[in-house]
Amino acid sequence: MSKTYKIKKVIVKTEYKVLAALLIILAGGLVLLPKYEKNSGIKPESFLLNIMSTERYITTDQIADKIIKQDPNLLLIDVRKKEDYDSFSLPNAVNIPLEDVLSSDSEAYLNQDEYDVVLFSNDNFYADQAWQLCNRMGYKHIYVLKGGLNEWFNTIINPKEPKVTEPELAFKQYDFRKAAGMYFGVGNNKTTTTKVKPKKVIKLTKKKKKVAEGGC
Amino acid sequence: MGPLIPNGIIPPEWNFVIAILIGIVFGFTLEASGFSSSRKIVGTFYGYDFAVLKVFFTAALVAMIGVYYMDYLELVNIEELFVLPTYTWSAITGGVFMGLGFVLGGFCPGTTLCAAAIGKIDAMATMLGIFIGIFIFSELYDFIEPLFDSSYLGRITISDSLGISPYWFIFLFAILAVITFYVVDVIRKRVKKVFY
Repeated sequence: MSKTYKIKKVIVKTEYKVLAALLIILAGGLVLLPKYEKNSGIKPESFLLNIMSTERYITTDQIADKIIKQDPNLLLIDVRKKEDYDSFSLPNAVNIPLEDVLSSDSEAYLNQDEYDVVLFSNDNFYADQAWQLCNRMGYKHIYVLKGGLNEWFNTIINPKEPKVTEPELAFKQYDFRKAAGMYFGVGNNKTTTTKVKPKKVIKLTKKKKKVAEGGC
Repeated sequence: MGPLIPNGIIPPEWNFVIAILIGIVFGFTLEASGFSSSRKIVGTFYGYDFAVLKVFFTAALVAMIGVYYMDYLELVNIEELFVLPTYTWSAITGGVFMGLGFVLGGFCPGTTLCAAAIGKIDAMATMLGIFIGIFIFSELYDFIEPLFDSSYLGRITISDSLGISPYWFIFLFAILAVITFYVVDVIRKRVKKVFY
């Protein structure tokens, strides 16, 4: 064997050893690296942008329309407490109280691609909080009912009659709301809203004839 | 930041262009390192050449270490990477058939195409065999389906199912790989040399 061949052989042999050592050192480095809790969900910058955007809001008219047309993509979620949900809620709504939004049971409802999820509460504040939690986790297709159930009551169940001077659109909307109200079982709310005025009883009191006092 | 295409850093239209470029480089490297020779590939089974085993072990290890370092530096989000779903028994059955084909034909699917491209007739025959196999599988699918869909474990990784930290798993895997390399070298030296 020539000398150069021997040297080459040594280089090749040590090269493999160096490479093997490098792999083990790099893999060991992963074990030794200080671990840190990673941010789960979307980045803070995009979260702030999402919060400012009003795209998440959906009006009561839109929801009423979707419910009446039986939109199969609609999933209503009531984020109020269980007692409130039991006393009244929207038809076919699912109850996920605000504190349970991030629990593993509710993830199947919120983190999915099939449905448009609409969150609602009495106003939109709790629903907004739930939306923020979901948005931060990167869940898609989550919306908030603008104004919540109070707005639902004021617009669908008990709509205000527009003034005569208002545009035609307002009347059409009013007609839709009345019809929607009937669908949800309120009936012709015009009669329900007009209060029966108590009859004014006019008491007639006979004037007593006064005895003329004095005189000229 | 990454993965680049799902996060919109590279538009999805580039998907196929990048795939073709990577494919060309992969094929070139396979051919350049002699993997289009069936004698080299079956050497793993007969014990005179362990290049295939070493290459795939090293590739897996380098990719693992690289991906986890990139995840640590937040260059790639490991949660967003695609994990192939696991079907235990169909994977084992498929693996046995694949190994049989491997030692019979002397090619794995990728190297078949590579060798066919440089004009090896046995590789072309193997390619034909692959298509016949696909045809038979499709025709028998109704019969095979119970096995094909059974024992579904979901998109799990080894560190998930063993319940150990992926970092420790990589470290143990690296040690295992180096030991394997050493052992197969010892085997190779004992087996009678084959010139090809």
